[in-house]
Amino acid sequence: MKNSIETNDKGSQKILEINNLHKRYNEGKTNEVHALRGIELTVHKGDMMAIMGPSGCGKTTLLNMIGHLDRRSAGDITIDGVDTLTLSDGQMTAFRRDNIGFIFQLFNLFPFLTAVENVETPLLLTGMNAGLAREQAKMLLRELGMGDRLYHLPTELSGGQQQRVAVARALINQPAIILGDEPTGDLDSTTSGNIMDLFRRINKINHQTFVLVTHNRWIAEKCDYIVHMTDGKISGIEENPLIRRQTKR
Amino acid sequence: MPKESKKRASLNQLISYWGVCMGLRAGVMIAWRSLSRRKIKNLSAILAITLGVTLLVGIQITTDTLENSFITSLLQNEGEVDLQLANSTRGGYLTAADQESIALLVPDAIGIMPELTIQISALAASQFDPTIEAAGISPDYPEAFGAFYDWKTGEQIDINALLTDNTSILLSSNQAEKLGLNKETRLPVPVTTEFTNFTIAVTINFTSGQPIITPIQEIVRVELQVVGFYDSNRPGIGSQYSGAVFSLPHLQDWISLQDPLRETDLISAYLIAFKADHFIQEIDEEYLRTQIDLLEDAIPEEEDPQTGDKAKIYTVTSTRLNFIDLAGFFITLMSTMLSSLGFLITLTGILLITNVQLMSVEDREFQTGVLRAVGANRRGIFQSQMIETLFQGLIGGVLGFIGGMAFGQAVALYLVGLFGTGAQSVQPVFSQEAIILSFIVGIILSIITGILPALRASRVNIVEALRGIKVKLKAKSGRNLTTIGVLLSFASIILLLYNGILEKTHQVFWTSAGWDSLEEWRYLMMGFGLFTGGIGIILSRFMDRVKAFNVAAVTLWAIPSILFVVAMGKWVTDITEFSIEILILGIAEILIGSILFIALNLPIVMRGLRRILITIRGVKGVAQIAPSLISSHISRSTLTFAIFAIILTLNVVVATLIPTSLGTVTKIEEDSHGIDLTIKLSKPEAILPDTSYSNELAAIDSRITDVIGFKTFHPQQDFTKFIALNDPLSLGFDPRTDLLPIRTGEFKPEQIRGNASDSSDPDWRYAFYLDGLPDGVRESLHSEVTDEEILDLSKKAWDQFFDLQYTMAAYNITSDLLAVLSGETDLADMQIDPGGSDGPITSGGDSLKGVTPLKDGEGNIIQNPIIFTDSFLLPIGLQLWIPMNTSIMGFTNYQAFTIGGSLDSQRAGGFPLGSGLHFGSGRALDGSGFDDILGTLYLPERWANQTDFLGEANGQTAISRKSDQYDAYLIKTTLSIDDPELEDIAQAVEDFTNTNDEGYRLLADDNFYMASSTRTYARIETTLKFTDRITSFLQIYVTFGLVIGAVGMGVISVRNVSERKREIGMMRAIGFPRRQVILSVLLELVVLGIIGLLIGVVNGLLISTGFANMQNATLIIPWRDIGSYLSIIILIALGSGTLPAIAASRIPPAEALRYVG
Repeated sequence: MKNSIETNDKGSQKILEINNLHKRYNEGKTNEVHALRGIELTVHKGDMMAIMGPSGCGKTTLLNMIGHLDRRSAGDITIDGVDTLTLSDGQMTAFRRDNIGFIFQLFNLFPFLTAVENVETPLLLTGMNAGLAREQAKMLLRELGMGDRLYHLPTELSGGQQQRVAVARALINQPAIILGDEPTGDLDSTTSGNIMDLFRRINKINHQTFVLVTHNRWIAEKCDYIVHMTDGKISGIEENPLIRRQTKR
Repeated sequence: MPKESKKRASLNQLISYWGVCMGLRAGVMIAWRSLSRRKIKNLSAILAITLGVTLLVGIQITTDTLENSFITSLLQNEGEVDLQLANSTRGGYLTAADQESIALLVPDAIGIMPELTIQISALAASQFDPTIEAAGISPDYPEAFGAFYDWKTGEQIDINALLTDNTSILLSSNQAEKLGLNKETRLPVPVTTEFTNFTIAVTINFTSGQPIITPIQEIVRVELQVVGFYDSNRPGIGSQYSGAVFSLPHLQDWISLQDPLRETDLISAYLIAFKADHFIQEIDEEYLRTQIDLLEDAIPEEEDPQTGDKAKIYTVTSTRLNFIDLAGFFITLMSTMLSSLGFLITLTGILLITNVQLMSVEDREFQTGVLRAVGANRRGIFQSQMIETLFQGLIGGVLGFIGGMAFGQAVALYLVGLFGTGAQSVQPVFSQEAIILSFIVGIILSIITGILPALRASRVNIVEALRGIKVKLKAKSGRNLTTIGVLLSFASIILLLYNGILEKTHQVFWTSAGWDSLEEWRYLMMGFGLFTGGIGIILSRFMDRVKAFNVAAVTLWAIPSILFVVAMGKWVTDITEFSIEILILGIAEILIGSILFIALNLPIVMRGLRRILITIRGVKGVAQIAPSLISSHISRSTLTFAIFAIILTLNVVVATLIPTSLGTVTKIEEDSHGIDLTIKLSKPEAILPDTSYSNELAAIDSRITDVIGFKTFHPQQDFTKFIALNDPLSLGFDPRTDLLPIRTGEFKPEQIRGNASDSSDPDWRYAFYLDGLPDGVRESLHSEVTDEEILDLSKKAWDQFFDLQYTMAAYNITSDLLAVLSGETDLADMQIDPGGSDGPITSGGDSLKGVTPLKDGEGNIIQNPIIFTDSFLLPIGLQLWIPMNTSIMGFTNYQAFTIGGSLDSQRAGGFPLGSGLHFGSGRALDGSGFDDILGTLYLPERWANQTDFLGEANGQTAISRKSDQYDAYLIKTTLSIDDPELEDIAQAVEDFTNTNDEGYRLLADDNFYMASSTRTYARIETTLKFTDRITSFLQIYVTFGLVIGAVGMGVISVRNVSERKREIGMMRAIGFPRRQVILSVLLELVVLGIIGLLIGVVNGLLISTGFANMQNATLIIPWRDIGSYLSIIILIALGSGTLPAIAASRIPPAEALRYVG
């Protein structure tokens, strides 16, 4: 099975290109793990893609590589035309801040910051005026139905509410790509559905690209494409005709 | 770590915890696993405990060592001698035959040595020392007394090889230095001295045929040869003799000259040593006391054949014990001060340990929740936590014990420099009980501080722990807490009502008189402290706890602050009640109040900080994270800044001591009223037909404008001239404790008033301030008295002093000194009186108000002539007896006096004569003699003339003095007090007086005159040096606290970072640049450090203001030191935080995000 996958919307702009990406943990040691083995992947702007596969196949590793949360062992990643290998750590951090949003399975909110503070933080990092950042964060949270939970600490929120805050934090900078690692993993099916509908809506309105790692077929089926991974390789890509049709329409 | 092995580790940990619940054996094994796997966290806990125990043990050793060194340095002159046995007949000698009977009396002695001492006059080169003590040493003295060591080579001296004839002497290095000799001086050095040759001429009256016996006294001048110098700073016999050493038989030869029968079997005393190497062992006071008691009981009695009175045949004296008693008086102050400082510093160690233990639990709340969820019971969790803590406590305890020992050793080395008495004299004192206690306390502490967190861990709410909800204080108090609040309030009311209602000598607090004594303040501080705490707790049942406790915190802080800033020196004028407990209470309340206040309001402070930082570009992310982190962990943050708050409070107080005392000295300089030099002659000036020494002095330099001559007298060893603090004729009189070698002096009207006739005449020669005033003047004192009024009152007191008719009642008070010497006062219970009667009388202090005058047998109030003193140990109103002269029968006649005034050594004119700064000694309290501390008593001319040592008394004794035969001189010049040219004048005076066959020696035809000339400013410098030494020691003490703070912060920083890996990963994931990640970590530490600094500076200055008010000095704020503390704190925070922060920022976010603690 081929390792190189490109979503087939040839007309739109490429937002992510991955060539021959490898990741080895404990390189050179007896316990070396070859987590990614030459991944080739191209994603276009506005795509919503799910990555599926059994545990330990390298889904999260791939996502971390795309988000530059971890160092690659070999290969190229180009995001929005920028070859990220050429960026310094500082430039990469700024690039990540401006172009990539993260939503984690464990929500990963700052436990000591309130909902609105969690959301406004990425804006503050861009140097935005604190008042303005606060207003934008409030607005976004209200849009996500969290208007009455602005000043609650994460521990005072339910799982779904926490995830909405995490989504808001990922979206606040209007990044080109939003990466989600089991974004609905801890949530019940109704809440998961709501969150996915939210993603879909944002994807539709803002043309932001989503790459989501999931175990859940039902969640994956809400995406345009489903990429299957096995043993650190892409084993196939599946287009979701229903969604594609809806999107095209 | 790969995911799998990480998972395995977590699983192991989980199983480990589970195992603990299964049994103790498994528990130990599992705790050990936990210890070895959570390396950094455990190491930091162990480090914290190590530091805490190091502090406990180190401070204990330091305090003991300092006390011992201080006493040792004072006792150095005693060598290895524990006690002396002398003939109970005053002035009588013992003989060689006594040795045997004495040996039977002291079976435990390891050395008994005969000794013969005499004061000789000596002249070497052109220098002169009037009082060299010459001692005769037995050629085969016991080994227990040590050896003489050569000053230059350090080798042991064989005295038998050197002291071969009766003109050969060894000279102590101290004496040699006084004589201007040094190690390189070629030996032998000739020294001239005088002995009295007493012979009887028998002639026959040719008329009566009766023999006529005529005693003939002839002064024989002898040239002695110094054949060696021995090191007086070497412990042992060498330190025991500070003058010249003869071979015993040779000195016996010389002294026998006084005896027409030429009896040579003369021993002044037998010296007894109960142990060797006194200098490297702790002083065993109790043992010595017991030995003396046993000996006194054993000494046989002898019956006077004429009177039938029985008396002991030997007198026992133990200078060592007397020194210990006296030193104890001063050491009580020092050691309580050190102990309280030590206590506060140790407190920081406790805070550190608690902080780290608290972190451990917070850190593991999630795991604890999991354990509880999978079925671990509370006991199991508690047990596992405690076993781990116990391990940490033991390892930290042992390491801390070693650290404390090293610390003690280091301090001992420093003390050698401080006391300058040679390495052997300062040994670290490892008092076993104290150290073991500190060690155990350290471990127990680490366990206790572990119990609370362990309890907290075992009680976690499973759901909350799993969800990461932090345990929060309830907003309002429950019923139990409220009950405690009510009880506290009740107790506080009792304390508040103690003043004036339960204790009638105090005034009630609702009157202004209820706030004007330190004893009242003791209860006010305790009462209000408890009251606000109690009310705070009660209020917190009905209102928000933060608000309720804010009121308590502010009051707790404010009450002692009012004492220090406002009351001290203004409302409270009598600082003699000042005690260390009041100081500790005040400092503790100020610290607790301020720390609690800031802790309660930390979220507000942090919001303020965020508001400021968020406007700064480039740190907005930091602004978002760091302040929230600080306020989200209030207990941890509070413990961290509290460490610095305590340490910096102490640092600021110590730092303020130096400039403030400098300021005091500067003030004294201004107040010295032009006295630039003091001159002391070795003996009263010669009576010259056309001139006087004063006239000659005035002619030495044209810049000298005035010379005021005084008579002074120092009884030295002559106890017939000692002052009696009890009636010598009374039955209770004990010459061993009631007689003291206090100096005396004389004041004449012209010395003080000049030509002015009385106080109404403004033109006085010398503005002489007093701070204790006689009856009739003292009563006019009132609050807010000005300097001018004090001078006016002082002048009135001088009028009374010179009024021949004036007498003053003796009051029913005792001298602290006497009480200590006679063992009536327990040192621990004594009031510490740092300023003594030298303190300022800024306001209404009739110190004798309410004290009853003494009455005689017929009920009449005892009235005595008055004397003045500069001794802070002798209070106004005290009755004492001064020996006037010796009757024909050989008895000393005593005259009773009342102390009517004390010279103000802090202010104006009293200073050049003030306590501790005596004529000619040129040294301050350097521990070289208690005579300096005892001070001087000054008599008016009329009484001075009746003594045979200050005046002419019965005329013809060798020491009788003419009315203008002075020996001490105050010199005024046109130069300013710190002008270096004064040194030239001082030198000119010494050259004029001290050159053989020239100048004054030529005029007086006596080459035995010697002047020592001291600049007033040099005395200030000496005092400063002493203050500086003590302060620098305290500085070391408190700096150690800073080191602890630094290491503690390092520990906290490492823990913070390792525990927040996940947050750091998150920060990096959402776009925090590495710089801002590092800054967030550092900012937290810097901010906590600076909060501590601010609290420390404010509190330190408040307390120092109190000290300054107490001394009537102006507080000088040590801005430079405070600046350096700021830099140190920032450096500590940056130093301890940078490495962990950089390390954390380098972890790939993906790895950090996987971290689960």
